[in-house]
Amino acid sequence: MNIIEVQDITKRFSNHVALDNVSLSVKEGVIFGLLGPNGAGKTTLIRILNQITFPDSGTVLFKGQPIKAEDVRQIGYLPEERGLYKKMKAGEQAMYLAQLKGLDRKTAYERLRVKFKQYDILDWWNRPVEELSKGMQQKLQFITTILHRPSFLILDEPFSGFDPINANLLKEEILKLKQEGTTIILSTHNMASVEEICDEIALINQSQKILEGNIYDIKMQFKKNIYSIEVQEENLALNSLIKNNFELLEQRTLSHSTQYDIRIAADLQANDLLGAVMPFANITAFREVLPSMNEIFIEQVETFNKEHRHEK
Amino acid sequence: MKNNTFLIIAREYTTRVRKKSFIILTILLPILIAAIIVLPVLLVMHSEKGQHANVLVVDDTELFINSFENTDNTTFSYSSGDIDFLKKDAFDNEKYDCVFHILNNSQGLKSNLYYRKDLPSGLQSNLESQMDEIFFDRMLQDSFNIQPARFEKLQELTKSDITTIQVDDEGKERENIAEMNEIIGMMCGFFIYFIIIIFASQVLRGVLEEKSNRIVEVLISSVKPIQLLTGKIVGIALVGITQFLIWVVLTVGIVSAVGLAAPDLLSGSEATEIVAEGASATGQVQGLSIFQQINNYFPISFTEIILCFFFFFVVGYLIYATLYAATGSVVDSESDSQQYTMPVTIPLILSIILIPSISTNPNGQLAFWFSMIPLTSPIIMMVRLPAGVPIWQLLTSMGVAVLFLLFCIWAAAKIYRVGILMYGKKNSWREIFRWLKRA
Repeated sequence: MNIIEVQDITKRFSNHVALDNVSLSVKEGVIFGLLGPNGAGKTTLIRILNQITFPDSGTVLFKGQPIKAEDVRQIGYLPEERGLYKKMKAGEQAMYLAQLKGLDRKTAYERLRVKFKQYDILDWWNRPVEELSKGMQQKLQFITTILHRPSFLILDEPFSGFDPINANLLKEEILKLKQEGTTIILSTHNMASVEEICDEIALINQSQKILEGNIYDIKMQFKKNIYSIEVQEENLALNSLIKNNFELLEQRTLSHSTQYDIRIAADLQANDLLGAVMPFANITAFREVLPSMNEIFIEQVETFNKEHRHEK
Repeated sequence: MKNNTFLIIAREYTTRVRKKSFIILTILLPILIAAIIVLPVLLVMHSEKGQHANVLVVDDTELFINSFENTDNTTFSYSSGDIDFLKKDAFDNEKYDCVFHILNNSQGLKSNLYYRKDLPSGLQSNLESQMDEIFFDRMLQDSFNIQPARFEKLQELTKSDITTIQVDDEGKERENIAEMNEIIGMMCGFFIYFIIIIFASQVLRGVLEEKSNRIVEVLISSVKPIQLLTGKIVGIALVGITQFLIWVVLTVGIVSAVGLAAPDLLSGSEATEIVAEGASATGQVQGLSIFQQINNYFPISFTEIILCFFFFFVVGYLIYATLYAATGSVVDSESDSQQYTMPVTIPLILSIILIPSISTNPNGQLAFWFSMIPLTSPIIMMVRLPAGVPIWQLLTSMGVAVLFLLFCIWAAAKIYRVGILMYGKKNSWREIFRWLKRA
C-alpha cells in the first residue's frame, strides 16, 4: 500500500514553476530517497507534503485519502534549515514542540527523558538552547521530530552537521524506525547514504520528476554490461581476447591479482565473457559492475538538461 | 488542533513574563511613578521641617514690633539698638540664626536679612508675605481708616465665581472643566500610544525571531500559520494586560500606602488638587465617594471612559500587532525591517504629534477626521472622549476600527503565510500585493 501518493502536482511562484506536473508514490515501510540538484523543487514538494504550502493543481493522498490538516500529527518533519528558540531551555522547548504535535504533557515528558538519555543530552535539559553545541542542537531537533512516533517521516538533509559518530547513531535510528514500520522520505545530496539506506528513490530535476523506482531496478535499468573479472596474474592473452565483443575499460594491478573491467556487447551474457576468459586464466572473482547512484544522478541530470537546452 | 493555539499563547506568555526585563520594568515603573508623585512633596516638607530658625527682628520703624507670627520653623524675637553690636552678639554667641533689620527709610520699606551659616529655605518669602500683610493692614487702618476685618468681608462679598457648563445636543447640561478634560484625554492617548509601540513591536520582533532562526518551518508543519499568528498576538496582549494591571495595582498601592502613612503629604500635590477641583465643580462634594464624584464630573460616565479605553486599547493593539506581524514576516532581519515598518509607524507618530492640538480643540475638524481614520482613531478618540463626543461619532469610529481590523487580519494572515517562508530576497511592495490577491 502507498502511504503517500502525489498526483499531478503543479506549483507556480510569481516568476517560475517550482513543480511541473509531478507524480510519485511512496510505499508503506520503505525509505524513499528524494534526490535532485539544488533548486529542483524538492523543498517545495516537501512543504506540500507537510501542508505548509499548497499546490496550484493536483492532489496528495495520505494513506489513500486526500491529505487533511489533522494528518500532520502522523507526520514528522526535520527541515533542512534547523531552528530552535535560542533562549528557551532544551527540555522546555522539546516539551513545547511535542505538545504541538498532540502529545499530552505526561507522555511527552516520559518519552523525552528516555530520548534525552539515549542521545546523551539529559544533563542539558535545563540549559538554554544557545548553550548547546551544534551537534546537540541537531540531536534535540531530531528527537522532537520523531517523538510523536509518526508513521511518516520526512528528513531533509538529516546528516548535515553531524560528526561521523553521531551520523552513524542517526543512521541506526533511521533503520530502527524503518523496522518499526515507519515510512521515511530522505531528501539528501549524500549519495553514499542513499545507496546505504534507501529502498526507492525519485529524482527531480528542473521541476520535473525524471526518475522513480526501486534502487536495484534503477541500477539494472542503467547498467552498461560492465563486468569486473579478477585473475591470478596479469595475463597478456586476455588483452588480445578483447576485441569486438569485449571492451577493456580499466586494468588494475592488485597485490596478488589483476582486475579487469570489461564491457560486453549488448546481445551477450555474462557467461559468454566467462567462457571466453576461462581457457586462458585462473579466475578468482567475477561480478557485475552496477552504476552507482552518484553516476546515475549526474548522468540523468546532465542528459535532461542538455535535451531541454535544445528544446529552448 | 484548537488546543495548539492555547499552547502557543501559553508559550508566548510565559517566556515573556519570566524574562528579567519584564519583572524589572513591571516593578520599577510603579515605584517611579509613585516617586514622581510623592518625592517632590516629601522633599519640600522635609526641608521645611528640618530647619528651625531663631530670628531676631530689629525694627527701626517700630511698625512691626511683636507683629510677626511664629511658625513651626521660625521663632521671632525683638530687640532695638545698634545693629552692628546686635549682629555680632547674635552670631558670635550663637543666640540667633538670622538678624532681620528693618530700616527707617523715608522712601518706603527697606530691610536687610543677615545670616551666617545657611539661609533657612522659605524664610525670605515668609518674611515678605507677613510684612506685606502687616503693612497693608496698617495702611488700611491708618491712612484709609478701614478695619482689616471689614475689608476681608468686603473681599469675600465681591468675589466672582464662574462655572463652565457644556450643553449637549439634547439640551442636557453638565459642568465641565476644560483643563481636566485635556489632562485625562492626553493621558489616555499617550497610554494607548505606549502600549501599542511597546507591545505591537514585540509582535514584530517575535515573528522576526521565529523567521530568522528558522524554527517557523517546524512550527507550521505542526500548526496552521494563522494559529501561530493568533497565538503570538494574543499571548503578547496578555503580557501587556498583566503588566498594565500590575502597574495600576502597584501604583495605587504605593501611593495610597504613602498617603495613609502621611496624610498631608499628598494633599498638596498637583494631581490631587486637580481631582479635587474637578470633583468640587459638580457641586455635590459631600457625602459621595471619590468614584461617584469623578463619575458625576464627566460628560460621559467614568465607566464608559474605562470601557472605551479598553476597547481602543484592544482594537488599536490588534490593528498594529497584525500589521507589524505582516511586516516581520516579509523581512529577513531586524536591520532591514526599518523601511517596511515606516508606513505602519507614521500614523502612530502623527497621532502623538496631534495629541496637544486635539486636546485643546477636541471637537474640531482635525479631531473629527483623525478619530475616524482607523490607524489614528484609537489614540485620537481617547483624547477627545473626556470632553464628550456625540454617540454616533463614537460608534462610527469603533465600527470603522473593527472593520479595518478584520481587513488587517485577513491581509496579514495572507502575507504572513507566504512571507515567513521567503528567505534571501527583498520583497517589493508589488510582490506583497500579489500575495494578497492570491487565494
